Amino acid sequence: MTFSLNEIEAMGKRAARGAGLPWGLAEEAGKAARWLTARGLPGPEELAEILTRNDGKSYDELAPVSAEGVWHAPSGRLCPLVAGAALCDRAAEIAAGREIEFGPTAQPLLLAPYAAGAARLTGAAVELSWAGAVMSFTPEGVSIEGDPAALTARSADSVQCRHAENAVVAPPVGAPGRVVDAETWSRLNAFAQRTFAPATEASRLAGAGAGLTDND
Amino acid sequence: MNECAKDHLTVPLRDPAVVMRLARLGSFHQCRLSFMRTLLRRMKRDSWTFERPVFEIDEKGVGIAVYSACGPERTYSLVCFGHDLPPEHRSDRVIAHAWDSTFTLFDGAPTPADIERLHWNVPKQEAGRISNREISISRANRSVRLFEHVVDSLAAGRQPDRDQIEAVGYLMRTTAVYGSGKFGAADREAIADRPEFAAPFQAEMLSVFLTRAFTIDLVEHLARARAPETAVRVDQALRRRFSVGNSTGLGLAPFIVNHPVLLNNWIAAREEALARVRSLPRAAAEKALTFGAMLARARISAEEWRSEHSLQIQKLIMLRADLARLQVHIANGALDGEAPWDRLYGWAEANLSIEGQEQLVSLMLEPYDELVDDLADRMGADEDMAFRIDGAMSLDRLSGILDEIYGWALKIDWTSPDSLARVWYVSEEKLEPRLGERFEEPIEPYEQPLAPGRDAATLRREIEAWDGDRTVAAFLLRHPEHRHIVRRAQIATRFPYAEIRDNTISAALLPIDLLRCKLAFFGATHFDPRSDRWVRINMFQNAPFPHELSEGDADDWSYPSLPEAME
Repeated sequence: MTFSLNEIEAMGKRAARGAGLPWGLAEEAGKAARWLTARGLPGPEELAEILTRNDGKSYDELAPVSAEGVWHAPSGRLCPLVAGAALCDRAAEIAAGREIEFGPTAQPLLLAPYAAGAARLTGAAVELSWAGAVMSFTPEGVSIEGDPAALTARSADSVQCRHAENAVVAPPVGAPGRVVDAETWSRLNAFAQRTFAPATEASRLAGAGAGLTDND
Repeated sequence: MNECAKDHLTVPLRDPAVVMRLARLGSFHQCRLSFMRTLLRRMKRDSWTFERPVFEIDEKGVGIAVYSACGPERTYSLVCFGHDLPPEHRSDRVIAHAWDSTFTLFDGAPTPADIERLHWNVPKQEAGRISNREISISRANRSVRLFEHVVDSLAAGRQPDRDQIEAVGYLMRTTAVYGSGKFGAADREAIADRPEFAAPFQAEMLSVFLTRAFTIDLVEHLARARAPETAVRVDQALRRRFSVGNSTGLGLAPFIVNHPVLLNNWIAAREEALARVRSLPRAAAEKALTFGAMLARARISAEEWRSEHSLQIQKLIMLRADLARLQVHIANGALDGEAPWDRLYGWAEANLSIEGQEQLVSLMLEPYDELVDDLADRMGADEDMAFRIDGAMSLDRLSGILDEIYGWALKIDWTSPDSLARVWYVSEEKLEPRLGERFEEPIEPYEQPLAPGRDAATLRREIEAWDGDRTVAAFLLRHPEHRHIVRRAQIATRFPYAEIRDNTISAALLPIDLLRCKLAFFGATHFDPRSDRWVRINMFQNAPFPHELSEGDADDWSYPSLPEAME
């Protein structure tokens, strides 16, 4: 089925929240799915996959132990939704020349929207690379090098993020939405369902507070 | 002089701590910057034309109609589906599954194949799918009180009873008008660069404007079908009294909390307009006359405004008294002399209810199209531009922001059950937004992040344990649960009117305050709360119909006309 970017973002946010991420990270995960989709990349698929892989794991297992040195997670693999947010929070440091190195990281493509956010925040060109893939971001656009298999790798042993001197980027193509396969959508939906309160008669009557009759 | 007033404000914008209180937001009135008025002004200026290429409706109201609006570059078509709805299925709630009529705003002129596709989907609303050729999707129910009376009267060759029209105001009320990519529709970004949709909610307002024409055509058609020999059309004088109703629940409330930059831009535009008018050194005679006429018309509007809700009844009593007092004050020369508008506003602060003060603010903008109307162009927003957190900010600076913007929340006792009484949540039943009782229902695990005050107070306490020289980035790495409120706080420091400065989960919360703020910006009138979380309104009451737009004033309808003898 074809979904609008707005639907993909809303579903992504709810799914990430349903999978246990705090609201702020869930908002960013929804934006990440949207950002990738708008650039012809498999946003909903990547998100469904990472939420499934990390379902039940705590934040502390997936987050960088420290923002110094090589970033690594206690579980062995960084979650890109967590590490990406921490990366974007360091945008000013990257723009000033700091290189951030990530140890083993799941689905590095999901870091891209956050690196793009860092570029937008600072105006600096930012480069993200892992085995077989190099992406560059400026506030104006993105360039992507790498074959599809490398870009959508399930994990990378290391990922580098640095300020890029000369990035040649293309503006986003502006996809009007895209086809998401039913299986991916239903996986996201299953996570999203966890955020919805079960329907009860009491809630149906009181919660919306419509009160008086509508047949008037 | 006026250019001067735009560039050199001698009166500052009102303090967000005053404006962004729920009691005040819940007393807003439509104004020159409301989206319905922006739409009609633009369509008039650009000579839009209107057609009804399809009207295939049977004697029960079942069938299809298409209304097209043709602008300088593009055409939009409202595709209307009429249904035969059993009365027991008539509900305005999100959880309804059927409606009297359903609609979509199509981007262009639909082909028969488009209409066939829409016919299989639009009547199902949330359960159907539309495409990026569609810009909005909506539905409406008949007013049982008025619809049948009007059809019956017209069929019998009589005009409908004016009192009954006044008591209801509309033939049909929309129960949701969705845009921005809902159910597969075009994303906002896909149409935001079109000049006609640069201002907020223009597509949705266009859809409602065309829906109003459909509702009148429908009753006239049904009357003719019922009694072709005797049926008459609605008299010209009566016709404009018909608005489109709208029935709205909690769904609008999360929207304004979740779009802080947009909310800021709406309020900032109106506040800037107010400051420009207050900064004028004099009120020219013709401006004072216009204001006086608008005030008289606002008094008629306040008299016509009906509500059965005790809170609104009280507010209406105050509003009517306020407007009477204001008229006396004006008659006594309030607009003579230096800085008359600023003095008038100061007088209102000391003498009128908040409802009356906000009505005055809207009225003060009326005479000054040349000072105010350009601000409509600033009311759109790109929430994305402010989305990313500035991790380099120090915790000291963040604390300062929290103290400044959420000072009111830091004073609340968050251990008191009344402070935390409510939970905003989404029901799995058609994803209806609801508000529940935290200490009475098992809903807390499903809480939506719609309590910035509480979250800011929690964050402020947590930061205390950290060295103020450390960064937001370092703090959030260990405390990701605060990312949501840190983002809001950073947005609110850049956009002063982004944040509501009241407790949105208090036992004393009136959700209708949130709804009214948004609906006033749409241009709605005659707010009629049905409970503390449900409100009905009129849209486009007294406005020209599409075919009348080319003649006459497109922006002189927001208050009822004066009786001819008074004009």
